[in-house]
Amino acid sequence: MIGESEMHFDVVIVGSGPAGVSAAFPLIEAGLNVLMVDGGCGTTLNPPVGQFLDIRRADASQWQWMVGRNFHSVRHSDAVSPKLRVPTHEAVFEGFGAANSIVADDFVVVGSLAPGGLSNAWGCGVACFTDFELAPFPVAPAEMRVSYGAVARRIGVSGAREDDLSDFFGLDEWSQPPMPIDELQGGLLARYSRCRDRLLQNGFRLGRARVAALTEPLGARSACDQSGCCLWGCARRALYSATEDLKLLLGRNGFHYRSGFVVERVSQEGEYIAVTGRCEAGSGLVRARRVLLAAGTLASTRLALQAIDHRVPVSLQSCPTAAFMLWLPQRLGRFHSKSFGLGQLSYSLTLVDGTQCFGSLFNTTGIPVSEFARHMPFGKRLGVDLLEPLLTSCVVGNLFLPGGMTDVTLRLDANDRLVVRGAYREEVATLMAEVHRRLRASFWRLGAVVMPTSFKIGLPGADIHYAASLPMRTEPGRGETDPYGELAGAAGIHVVDGASLSSLPAKSHALTIMANSDRISRHLVKILR
Amino acid sequence: MKIAITGATGYIGQRLILAALRAGHEVLALSRRPPASRSSVKWYPFDLADTMPLSFPHDLDAVYHLAADTRHPQGADQVERTAAQRLINAAGVIGAKFVFISSQTARANAPTGYGRIKWQIERLTLEAGGWVIRPGQVYGGPERGLFGQLCGILRHLPVLPVFFPAPVVQPVHVDDLAAALLACPALGVPTMLCVGAPGATNFTTFLKAIVRGRTGGRQPLCIPVPTMLIRGAGWFLGPRLNAQLGFDRLSSLFTLPQMDTEADLERLKLTLRPLSSGMSRSGRCRRELLREAHILLTYVLRMPPASLLMRRYVRAIEAFRTGRALRLPQLILRFPALLALLDGAGCVEAAFRSELVWRLNTAVMLAEASPQGARRFLGLERVHGWKWSALRMTLAIMSEFVRRMVQLFLRPILACVGRRGTFQ
Repeated sequence: MIGESEMHFDVVIVGSGPAGVSAAFPLIEAGLNVLMVDGGCGTTLNPPVGQFLDIRRADASQWQWMVGRNFHSVRHSDAVSPKLRVPTHEAVFEGFGAANSIVADDFVVVGSLAPGGLSNAWGCGVACFTDFELAPFPVAPAEMRVSYGAVARRIGVSGAREDDLSDFFGLDEWSQPPMPIDELQGGLLARYSRCRDRLLQNGFRLGRARVAALTEPLGARSACDQSGCCLWGCARRALYSATEDLKLLLGRNGFHYRSGFVVERVSQEGEYIAVTGRCEAGSGLVRARRVLLAAGTLASTRLALQAIDHRVPVSLQSCPTAAFMLWLPQRLGRFHSKSFGLGQLSYSLTLVDGTQCFGSLFNTTGIPVSEFARHMPFGKRLGVDLLEPLLTSCVVGNLFLPGGMTDVTLRLDANDRLVVRGAYREEVATLMAEVHRRLRASFWRLGAVVMPTSFKIGLPGADIHYAASLPMRTEPGRGETDPYGELAGAAGIHVVDGASLSSLPAKSHALTIMANSDRISRHLVKILR
Repeated sequence: MKIAITGATGYIGQRLILAALRAGHEVLALSRRPPASRSSVKWYPFDLADTMPLSFPHDLDAVYHLAADTRHPQGADQVERTAAQRLINAAGVIGAKFVFISSQTARANAPTGYGRIKWQIERLTLEAGGWVIRPGQVYGGPERGLFGQLCGILRHLPVLPVFFPAPVVQPVHVDDLAAALLACPALGVPTMLCVGAPGATNFTTFLKAIVRGRTGGRQPLCIPVPTMLIRGAGWFLGPRLNAQLGFDRLSSLFTLPQMDTEADLERLKLTLRPLSSGMSRSGRCRRELLREAHILLTYVLRMPPASLLMRRYVRAIEAFRTGRALRLPQLILRFPALLALLDGAGCVEAAFRSELVWRLNTAVMLAEASPQGARRFLGLERVHGWKWSALRMTLAIMSEFVRRMVQLFLRPILACVGRRGTFQ
């Protein structure tokens, strides 16, 4: 064991997800002594290798990764997202709530104990927050910009293209070329360029999605070959996961890593911070000059509230979501073809009251038909009869509203459990109706039909975009953090994951979490060295 | 793993050896008599009453202590305790994990000596950092142990005793128990694990399952028997006869403390097979489930399913549901396409309907995840082109309309389906 009770580190990082690894790089490069711990639920099943359609056609053992040897996807047939049913991600989501003492009421709680955290199963959407979106942050946009660049170059992002979303995403200067686009979404984009002005007037903008997926090799990772297996994990490692960074970190001087150590408490102990946790061999204790909480928004919030014994409810932001299916009638009768399985196109929509919403479009080939059949108002046999010819001309879309539109409270109860309660704000129903109407009209112009009854609003928390529970403020109060994520009332404890974002717009927020973590860590280097 | 098993010729020991060998483990059998599968295991003569020093090979990973004297003669306490301590010590010397199979009756003040000695050895085991497994009512497989006694009694009794007040048991199939035993050394921090059905099963239900699965199947006449009577008889017969006739073990059933097993089963990642399938001689009652698999999968796939796929469906039902087949009308059994009449029909009895929805969703998921399913769901070998696709879609929509209409017309008939839904 690395962290015997007498071991002291400069910094302990709790969690090995995107936030944790992003914090580690600047610290290691500055020669500091860093320990990273995580819950250590290892992956047990490798993603499929080869082209999705070829494997599906021939491989008799495909059920092992599609359903799981222990029938993982049947066991989780009630789960809110297809991702939670994917057997190859079983270990990613396993045991998080229980291990971290998090209980939920009317709110979907998802987190990860696995090395690499939720990035093992994410949608790879990346974006920079604009200066306007960074306004609630007590941070100079230029400072964030440096970190955005460093992180984007390290993880590898693609999608650079002069289009209507270039400013929205703001990361083309570091991007690889975009993924080859499939004929469905290529057709949409072509039509968009023809009736662009009209749509722009209506507040609808369309462009290529920016994703943390490689179109050119990077280090040991290969470029995407459009296998279509994205949902199940990428055998070529083209999709970014924090485990990629973990691999890079493991060889570095001064980096220590301990998997299977679930942190239970972080507390100040003189000039040091003590981190206690449990592992297979019992309980463990390590000390450090600084502790960075990167355990995922909910777990980090629990540890932070516990450290300052703050039992008053704090709020959390979470994006209301919806999903819908688009049908492109003129593409009816085409074959399934190989294509990138995550976002190819993204759109942003400005509503009447100025609310910005955002979403991406996905090819359906790599998604099990049963995921659609379960929502169809059809008998199973005829449902499949209908879906089989239909789906080749369909794409699915998702939608996010700003995180402030969900009222979520987090409260540390007497047993130190984090109780999560949440509901959408009242106006969400009206906004969703407006979005639905506007999307129907916008996509109609692009020759696509939003399928009737397919627009489905997700449950609160189903977005798994949780943030801003311990927001950074210039003058932080209790339950808030300073501009460097340092928890008010607990010097030396920094919150570097989604919890310390100052606000959550309707946008992919992972890159901002990583950049913020990188920025805080650069600041710490100056202090600690 | 390389494991040693005491009581290797016993009811559980025998099945544990089979399971261990099947999983590729190396087995040392410790018993008075050589075990049946002698060729594939190493036999070491072992008696609880031995006093000679005991030593295990250095590469041994785990010691399973199953041996017990169930007749429990006078003075056995000391013998069993000493034997357990010797085994614990010997395992400790080489750093092997120690797993002790206790009993649901184990308590400091248990009514039987058997329960008391189990409790004492539990303490010794836990103090030494070993595993304790408390099984519920073990059944299934060969008719041995208490299960064997019950089978024997029921076979000879012309009536079925219904004890009251009704005792409850938490059954566990002997092979599921063996799986739990093999799984526990890899789980990390040793502790006590309770392995049995999470909910309490009425003892009469358990006996009826034995009758159905083992002793001919015809339900004999039920005769109420007050539990007091058994206890009184035990007292009257005296300890020796009492033990020989199995009355003491029977009466210990009446005061079983209920175990909270759910968390432990979760930890072991173990789903116990349902009583109804576990009780059959094969340990599974698959014929009816296979027929159901054939119907549901044919309905979804529009062609007969591969046999591997059917077996996969059966395993899923066994893992998550009661393991009983749905009672489908005869006509549907002959023409699976007619399942369309029941699929989503609102008038069918509610419990049956929701069960059918769950099973159909499972059938869809499993059917899709096969080459056969890929052809059907992705249309890999279909003629494409927009005309054909439009035609197929129109047909599907019109058929759905017709299907709904027929369901509406047949409402009164469909409402009868599932009334006898005994899948639970």
